[in-house]
Amino acid sequence: MPPLTPGSESSAALVAAIAAGDRDAFGRFYDLTAPMAFGLIRRVLRDPEAAAEVLQEVFWQVWQDAARYDPTRGSPEAWLVTRAKTRAIDRLRSVRRRDRTFVAPVDESVAPRREEQAENPAVVAEDRSLVQNALAQLPEAQRRVIELAFFEGLTQSEIAARLGEPLGTVKTRARLGLERLRGVLGGERLSVT
Amino acid sequence: MNRDEIGELAAAYALGGLEGEELARFEALLEAGDADALRALRECGDTLVGLAAAAPEPPPPAVRAALMERIAAAPAARPSAPVRPLPPRRSRALWPVVLSGAMAAGLAAVVVGWSVSSTYEKRLDALARDAEQLRAELRGQQAVIAILRDPATQVVALAGLPPAPGARARMMWHAQAGGVFVATGLPAPPEGKAYQLWAIAGSNAPVSAGVFTVDASGSGSLAVRPLPGVSAVNAFAVTLEPTGGLPAPSGDMYLLGKS
Repeated sequence: MPPLTPGSESSAALVAAIAAGDRDAFGRFYDLTAPMAFGLIRRVLRDPEAAAEVLQEVFWQVWQDAARYDPTRGSPEAWLVTRAKTRAIDRLRSVRRRDRTFVAPVDESVAPRREEQAENPAVVAEDRSLVQNALAQLPEAQRRVIELAFFEGLTQSEIAARLGEPLGTVKTRARLGLERLRGVLGGERLSVT
Repeated sequence: MNRDEIGELAAAYALGGLEGEELARFEALLEAGDADALRALRECGDTLVGLAAAAPEPPPPAVRAALMERIAAAPAARPSAPVRPLPPRRSRALWPVVLSGAMAAGLAAVVVGWSVSSTYEKRLDALARDAEQLRAELRGQQAVIAILRDPATQVVALAGLPPAPGARARMMWHAQAGGVFVATGLPAPPEGKAYQLWAIAGSNAPVSAGVFTVDASGSGSLAVRPLPGVSAVNAFAVTLEPTGGLPAPSGDMYLLGKS
């Protein structure tokens, strides 16, 4: 399933080539990673036109800033995901300020509750998205923290305020949630490929 | 810091929710190349890539077309040179502009910060004082550099005389701009005494160029203002005089140099 291997040599080599001004390398990197970035942007930002604009901004940044990519901090895909997420959140906030009706914020309908799935196997079968499956396998409390941070762009203190939980609890849940997600995604990916 | 703490910082950083002092702390760890922090961050990053890659969506073809067009129109030279050093030849003219610009930016930041939080007022006060002090130092150094760069500047070497045969000094002298005087190897002046620098022009009486003292290593310096009525200086001399100096030399001569 995955169209790319995180941290693969080829994507790192492509970013290095982009940094040197290689337009073909940019095209290949786009083809390799744009669907992933667009899926993420669309998850944050429902409006397809706004999402397409953000995607273009993100990859324009890639072209301009490829020389600043630091491989010690993560794969090119992780670098891209961070940028896509940040840009999408920025856009989400400005859109929300302007007109709330354009956006359907992440809510319970996006990621089905774990309990529902357990109760109704048909829901699981209908889930096409691995994101939903993966997140749904987290305990509710961890899932909420990751969703609020990653898809809604809240800081940890904002999450703590929103959930009425101590900051320390939010921190722990974010860490445990990502650790668990790592195991879940690793497993899922193996089963799909 | 234990593994869980680093893991928490890395998770929050990767999710984009780290802020304030913790953000600074984690950034510092990354900058320092902390292996645990970097590994934790890479793991979190890969997890989020996995999350994003699990739900890909084909983007509209128009986005790719627009990007490739934009890139084709971009100049061959990469647009991402972050910091460009100033061309050295023009730096004399540019320095005041650049520095005042940087200073203005610094002060603007100070002003903005002021309105953000009153808890930082004291710190900002200190910063503003620091900025003012740096600006004053900068003005002094700019003046010195301007003098050193001017071809009309004379450099006069002064040699030690019998009271201090090992003493040496240099006078960088510009008739209109003034000068800079540096000396080494002078003994510490006795209580109530200081060294006085004299400019000697032709057969006129020596004119005081200022009073200075020396540090524990015997070094001292003096910024000299332009001396009214003194254009062509033939010699500079240093004598030991009462603290505060005298209108005319009276004590032993320690240094002498002819231009």
